[in-house]
Amino acid sequence: MLKVENVRCGYNESEVLKDVSFHVKKGEKVCIIGPNGCGKTTLLKAIAGLLKSEGDINLDGIPIKRMKRTEIASKVAILMQNETVYFSYTVYETVLLGRYLHIKGGILGGPTKHDKDFVMDCLDKVGLTDVKDRQIKTLSGGQLQRVFLAKALAQEPRLILLDEPTNHLDLKFQLELIEYLKQWANTDGNTVIGVLHDINLVMYFADKIMLLSDGQIVKYGEKSDFVDGKLLEKVYHMDIKGYMQNSLKMWNNVF
Amino acid sequence: MSFVVCILGIVIGSVMIPFSDIIIVVGNKLFGVAKTGNIDAITTSIIWDMRIPRVLMAFFVGAALSVSGAIMQSTLKNPLASSYTLGVSSGAAFGAGIVIVTGFTIPILGFFTLPLVGLVFGLITVFGAVGFAASMDRNMDTNTIILAGMVFSLFINAILTLVSSLKREDAQRILMWQMGSFSQKNWTIVIIFLPIALSLIFLTMFFVRELDLLTFGEEHAKAAGVDANKVKWILLSISSGLTGCAVAFTGVIGFVDLVAPHIVRKLFGSSHRLVIPISALLGGTFMVIADLIARTIISPSELPVGAVTALIGAPFFGYIYFSGRKRR
Repeated sequence: MLKVENVRCGYNESEVLKDVSFHVKKGEKVCIIGPNGCGKTTLLKAIAGLLKSEGDINLDGIPIKRMKRTEIASKVAILMQNETVYFSYTVYETVLLGRYLHIKGGILGGPTKHDKDFVMDCLDKVGLTDVKDRQIKTLSGGQLQRVFLAKALAQEPRLILLDEPTNHLDLKFQLELIEYLKQWANTDGNTVIGVLHDINLVMYFADKIMLLSDGQIVKYGEKSDFVDGKLLEKVYHMDIKGYMQNSLKMWNNVF
Repeated sequence: MSFVVCILGIVIGSVMIPFSDIIIVVGNKLFGVAKTGNIDAITTSIIWDMRIPRVLMAFFVGAALSVSGAIMQSTLKNPLASSYTLGVSSGAAFGAGIVIVTGFTIPILGFFTLPLVGLVFGLITVFGAVGFAASMDRNMDTNTIILAGMVFSLFINAILTLVSSLKREDAQRILMWQMGSFSQKNWTIVIIFLPIALSLIFLTMFFVRELDLLTFGEEHAKAAGVDANKVKWILLSISSGLTGCAVAFTGVIGFVDLVAPHIVRKLFGSSHRLVIPISALLGGTFMVIADLIARTIISPSELPVGAVTALIGAPFFGYIYFSGRKRR
């Protein structure tokens, strides 16, 4: 599905990704973890073709450099963090914009019944059907996050890139979202690559984990390779095992 | 509503004209219907040669500026952006200033030298500013574009001020041109301007979904499949073309481009399928009213229409903006 070879990428002068290579198979759920500023977001944007990069990024065997924007968008959708809304649209209108590729443009174009049904279906999946006519400027951060997820789903991609999708979401929606994405990835060989901070969610969700540090891959492999946590401790500069044990002890006292 | 205002624009003036006379004159000129009643040549001339071209010009300049403003705001995802922010008006005013001060005329163009030079200078300034922003920032970040526009704009304004203070006898003309006016607009100007404005507005209608996506930011638009870099250039060109032509023929008229799209967004939502055509109608109507006030309030002399649009526009804008905020 995705092959990344020797990718270097950055902003103006500073190089953020330093020679990154990895493969992702169809249907896999990959989580990218690593300390702040290690290049997680940059990597996602490079895969989506939003940032110019050196090296090769191939989607289904085709280099994205040779693909048109519409071709990339038909395969990849991205949910970015810190979405700012400058002009207000209704929830429904916003999600419908995700169908850009599928809807005929021009003055005579417009969404078909299939497009409208598809949007309603996406809204239903993220639990926003009730607020479909609300202005997005009036929504909470969590609701807005779900609107943009529905918009990404409406694009009908094969690969979804998620940049901290559980940000702003309460615990219930975090779990629901992760559950839904698991299900989405398990159908039709869809692929998910997500940046997540919560190690517990990562362990629950991912098939494979990529540990990034300072723009390089420290380790990329099966979830089981990360279980002893030594590597995480080295990269995060903290006692992860101790932190987890403390948390567990605290909750054991509560329940 | 727009139609009624346009008719009022033709009726009212230093000489009041009955509605029936307008129908008769228009019928006569367009369809060759015989003139009935006692309409003299002067009334006919006032209606056909002065009022109608003037009102048409006001309406389409208003429409062009509003659509241009709507495009700029969405493309640069900044509710306060306009092609004036990017320097169209300063550039055009500078070009016009040079023509006024030097008395330079292109032989074939004659009278049209001033608008043409204005247009060209306006466009050069915008593309200069955008090009400069692109060289500074590969990703053409919106803030970089706006800042570059402001730097260019302020610099050119400073030169214009310098020029007009060196040649005091022309300062008044430059000032009047900067404030804009619809006086002495004849059919020749209408026939040149109208097709350009209409076709550019029509062209914009093919980019309404791209405009919608661009309001969420360039990355959003790209991720959804829009070739944002290309589309942004096309839209900036359409917008600059609309403002540039309007400024070239009527001088600088501010505020309409800011106010009309804003009001439309408040009332009808942000979807550009509605924002573009309704902004055009509202901006056009607003401009006809502004022109009506400009030429009647101290009749028989005239106020610059730019002063009127700002006088009505600024408080109205404040009211709409802040009342909307309170409700939220």
